[in-house]
Amino acid sequence: MLTVAALEQSNVGTVLLKRIAGFTSFLHANGYGVSAADSVNVVDAAALTGVLDQAILRWNLKSLLCNRYEEWKRFDALFDAYFLPANIKVFVERGAAVGKPEVGTTGDDDPRELSATPENAVVDETQAARYGASREGNLSSTDFGKLDQADQARKIEALMRRLARRLKLLKLRREVRSQRGRRLDLQGTIRQSVSSGGIPLRLAWKTRRRVRPRLVLLLDVSRSMNSYSFFYLRLARALCNELADVHCFVFSTRITSVGEALRDPDPWRAQERLGVLAAGWSGGTRIGECLQDFNRGQGARLVHSRTGVIIVSDGYDTGEPAQLAAALGTLRKRARRIVWFNPLLNQPDFSPVAGGMQAAMPYLDLLAPGADLAAVERAMPQLIESLR
Amino acid sequence: MSLAANRMNEIAGLQDQLESAGYVAEAGLAATLLLTLDLGRPLLVEGEAGVGKTEIAKAFATVQSTRIIRLQCYEGLDVHAAMYEWNYQRQLLAIKLLEQDDRPLAAKEKDIFSEDYLLKRPLLEAISCDESPVLLIDEVDRADEAFEAYLLELLSDFQISIPELGTVDAVTKPLVIITSNGTRELSDALRRRCLYQFIEYPDFAKELAIVKIKAPQAADDLARQVVAFVQQVRRMELQKMPGIAETLDWTAALLRMGITVINDEGAEHIIDTLSALIKTRDDRTGFTSDVVSRIAATC
Repeated sequence: MLTVAALEQSNVGTVLLKRIAGFTSFLHANGYGVSAADSVNVVDAAALTGVLDQAILRWNLKSLLCNRYEEWKRFDALFDAYFLPANIKVFVERGAAVGKPEVGTTGDDDPRELSATPENAVVDETQAARYGASREGNLSSTDFGKLDQADQARKIEALMRRLARRLKLLKLRREVRSQRGRRLDLQGTIRQSVSSGGIPLRLAWKTRRRVRPRLVLLLDVSRSMNSYSFFYLRLARALCNELADVHCFVFSTRITSVGEALRDPDPWRAQERLGVLAAGWSGGTRIGECLQDFNRGQGARLVHSRTGVIIVSDGYDTGEPAQLAAALGTLRKRARRIVWFNPLLNQPDFSPVAGGMQAAMPYLDLLAPGADLAAVERAMPQLIESLR
Repeated sequence: MSLAANRMNEIAGLQDQLESAGYVAEAGLAATLLLTLDLGRPLLVEGEAGVGKTEIAKAFATVQSTRIIRLQCYEGLDVHAAMYEWNYQRQLLAIKLLEQDDRPLAAKEKDIFSEDYLLKRPLLEAISCDESPVLLIDEVDRADEAFEAYLLELLSDFQISIPELGTVDAVTKPLVIITSNGTRELSDALRRRCLYQFIEYPDFAKELAIVKIKAPQAADDLARQVVAFVQQVRRMELQKMPGIAETLDWTAALLRMGITVINDEGAEHIIDTLSALIKTRDDRTGFTSDVVSRIAATC
């Protein structure tokens, strides 16, 4: 905060507060889930602690405005970009370094966020907005720019939602039936008998532990999958909206979580967020490496003994087949079931001879064709059933 | 003294207090805790298992010299286990005894559904304390979404409504600290109500400070080597990263084995103690004596 020392003497309170409030819009433009209430809280906190110390301001804003880890780890860079104009060079360099399609980096910071830092010192709201517009331009060039235009798309969406709902029903029915082996709940029986003067007219039963199966979707969005990734993202969105415990990732040369973006109730925003994540899509595939990344990071906590893992890919892998086998082996140990949808499987002249596919075969519970909704519909109930 | 300088002093003060309570906190965390106090908002703490999320609440309670009320969440946690339950056995007894009583029915009923027969569970207890306690809601991600909704109601109004008794308002507002391991995505509504803090694995200096506080019997050199070793191990590809608790366990194990220095010659002895640090079979097979002596040589 360079100007602060000079401004301290004069009547700066309002100026500073305005600038800090502007920071919330800046974060919003960068995809943070901040609301109007947050701006009020920020001002409250500022009144308590003062705003003239950079460190305190950073800590306060960080704990107030971050809501999840992804936001937490990007915060410092954004804070610097907004409040510390002198450091701009450093960030441009760092942004460039991250932007390289280097193997193995999971891309902690989105380089485009950092390049949002304008050459001149002050970032104001209009610039943030302009940046948002450029992001949309980028989006239309990628495959699912069509995500909510065509009539056809809407029809397929309805179909998918129906499928997801059927899956939900299936799960419920299993739960009901599982109550057959129930036991008497004494505490509950007494609780109910109070209303009838202590005579246990109605008995209470203990039901079995509620089953909460989890689905993890790993979608290949590389160039060879171009025509299908759109279809599967739709399916993922429908599943995310209907079932509670669905986690979705996309991979090509690196793996990214898109669950948050898909779950966004506002379809426009969802599209925009997917667009941000789409950076580096439609390139080659390194399935093994991506799965290994997944195992190392999110997989460790997401995949448990009641998890079904769905991998959607054509199996054309530019990486080492051995690496894919090793990654699937690890995943195999954790997950209940691994299903691989291969959209090419239905084509008459296709046999799974691609190196990646060959390596993967021993670890799969099911290799299913996945070119259309009917194929998916045939395989899904079996999967859900196995997660009970 | 200016507002900011004042605040800096407070933060440093809280850091010292936390340290004497056995917790090493970064300035950022201390600042957030102060903000939690000032704004009266809950604090949501996330991070890998074993980085000391739960310890924050304990140390903070010690610093505030107040009691800590802990609610451990699990799948299927319901309102009876978390908020309140009627003491049915006592109520039934009372009904029998009151049969001889010739007071009007309404009075009897009021008797049976009075606070005497109410079993306070952690959440109700936390809002009916005379002195505001620290309420630790541990691993909230293990509870169901439905419970999260209950929790939201409590966290926004600090009141619990009991149908038979009426609404119980908070006597004092508890300091709420919520921890999550991220096994399930928490709702945006919950996140929005909370201040947020993510705790990383400690860096070398912080972990050394922790070891020195928690295991003072370890010599300075050993402590430094232990921490250097663990930091190396965390850089490896493991299924289960060692947390701070594992570091402390391992230090204790080394001391117990009479190992006072970590070097490549003592690799065999070190391997014997690794069960305190490495917790899965796959990870364990990666630690051959070669690997251990290579890491030990760099410490």
